[in-house]
Amino acid sequence: MDDKRSELKKIIMDTKTLPTLPGVINKLNMLSENEKSSVQEMAKIVSSDSVLSARILRLANSPSYGFYRVSTISNAMILLGVNVVKSLALSSSIFEIMEKNSVGLWEHSLAVGVASNIIARKLALSECEEIATAGLLHDIGKVIISLKCSEAETAILAAIREQEIYMREAEQLVLDTDHAEVGAWLSKSWFLPDKLSEPISFHHNVIQSDTHRVKTSVVHIADIIIKASGFGNSGDIFVPKIQQAAWDCLKLSQELLAEMVEDIEDKLIEVKNFSLEIQA
Amino acid sequence: MQKIPLMLAKADMIIGRDVFRGDTQVGIPVCGRGTVLTDSLIDRLERLDVQTIIVEGHPVWEDGDLSLDDMLLDLSRRFDKVKDDPLTARLYAIYKANLIKSMGDDGGRQAE
Repeated sequence: MDDKRSELKKIIMDTKTLPTLPGVINKLNMLSENEKSSVQEMAKIVSSDSVLSARILRLANSPSYGFYRVSTISNAMILLGVNVVKSLALSSSIFEIMEKNSVGLWEHSLAVGVASNIIARKLALSECEEIATAGLLHDIGKVIISLKCSEAETAILAAIREQEIYMREAEQLVLDTDHAEVGAWLSKSWFLPDKLSEPISFHHNVIQSDTHRVKTSVVHIADIIIKASGFGNSGDIFVPKIQQAAWDCLKLSQELLAEMVEDIEDKLIEVKNFSLEIQA
Repeated sequence: MQKIPLMLAKADMIIGRDVFRGDTQVGIPVCGRGTVLTDSLIDRLERLDVQTIIVEGHPVWEDGDLSLDDMLLDLSRRFDKVKDDPLTARLYAIYKANLIKSMGDDGGRQAE
């Protein structure tokens, strides 16, 4: 079993085996590390790839961010931040695959992005756009498992059904790893910042998140709320347990949770419309 | 709340979400949440190219729609593993109350 885990890790860490990442990303990485480079310069680099720009703008106009009229890459960089645009650029090919092959998971991810944004705003946290992005990307490991281990995926889905277990338990049984760890490898391979990689890696185990526990807790709660609502299809049949560490970290209360659920449920109608428009 | 095609809208239904021109989510709402529909208002929304609206409760029943009982059963199944956990049980209670409230007066419709 350990062989499967090592094999999967090798596949992910070798970026050549992943969906193609445009050369634009390397240029963008170099520019964003240079303090003297301007947003306009970075936007110009991304805009030179029209397909990538269109994909980024579509995600930037998703209900996860709530802007709706982001028409240029330079606007996206100003509104969402360079980090977010870079992460959307990196993950755009994965989302493309999700939209086509796993509509249920795509809707779940969009909804967790929206819910993370709403929770972050409700709690007056900073970097709401980055938290929304972490929500959008939190299950990215599932796409890689589906893409690279289709036989294992069939066994995972069968184990969930037959043994009535959570998806990550089934992934551990079949692959000796789970989507959160696979997401962590991918984040490392893409050099995603810790504020995004920690929620991806630890959204099922908040206590392990040291530096960005607040962000991880938001994504953990958002994921559970969306699973509770039955919106989309995360692959899980059952709602997971709310972890005490996340509840304490966000200082939640029954009233606050009820307000969050109301706001999120209200917004899910928009998420469904957005998803249907994309499928059309 | 329920999303329905405008052609199924009837007078006395209550708008559950702001309605925008041409079914977009941007601009100034042409009809606000809480407005009670009238025949003339429905005609006006048609002229503004509104295709769908969201109304309070669940006034229109179509084949395949789940009854409140079925929805509560689904919810209960989803929470099967965590009903004894005090924190997650709070979320269950919130969803259960919301479902009952959102189905409005028609919530009593039984599964066929």
